[in-house]
Amino acid sequence: MTKTAKIRNRIRRLRFDNGEMTQEELANRAGCTRQTIIALEQGKYVPSIELAFRIAKAFGVTLEEVFQYEEN
Amino acid sequence: MAPLQKRALYSLVTGVIFTIAIVIVFIVKGGIDTFTEDQEYRIIVDVLWIGALLASLLMTGITFRKPGQLDERDKLIMVKAQRIQLVAIIFSLAAWVISLPEIYHTEGQIPVAFIYLIYMSILLVMALSQSIGVLIGYWRGVSHD
Repeated sequence: MTKTAKIRNRIRRLRFDNGEMTQEELANRAGCTRQTIIALEQGKYVPSIELAFRIAKAFGVTLEEVFQYEEN
Repeated sequence: MAPLQKRALYSLVTGVIFTIAIVIVFIVKGGIDTFTEDQEYRIIVDVLWIGALLASLLMTGITFRKPGQLDERDKLIMVKAQRIQLVAIIFSLAAWVISLPEIYHTEGQIPVAFIYLIYMSILLVMALSQSIGVLIGYWRGVSHD
């Protein structure tokens, strides 16, 4: 019974585009745990604005390229 | 499994084992009637509940001391777990408040030892419910709301 997140992300796709970057590597770059990256990819967690920026920076893209706000 | 999740699971298992041990000691040693007279009985119970709390504190402490073990999601789960802790404490106190007057209604007084038992049980409930809250947080997921 996980809440449906209104904010979607393309982390899995971006990892693939960045030479199959591992979840561990992304976690280290973004300063979070691998479990948080897993939760983000599964849509079970919506990050704080700070972590969202750090993830975008880890991929070298803008915030909007990683996270999309979807109104239900 | 996240480090905090692992610790919460270990803490819960340890807490349940200690709680079962306390219940067994109570049954074997004769319940509340012999509690105030039997010093050995009280020492065993003291060792068990203090042991359960120390084990819980130790496991949580290890997670907090090591750098990089917790991130914002883990901290959010810890905060949300406090809600479950609060509910568990309220229900435990309600159980004591309802059951004791019902049981000792005819005597007109409740044995003093229950003050100690209520305190001990609330501390155990706090430790156990914190672990349960953390595990539920990982299972259901958390959000900033």
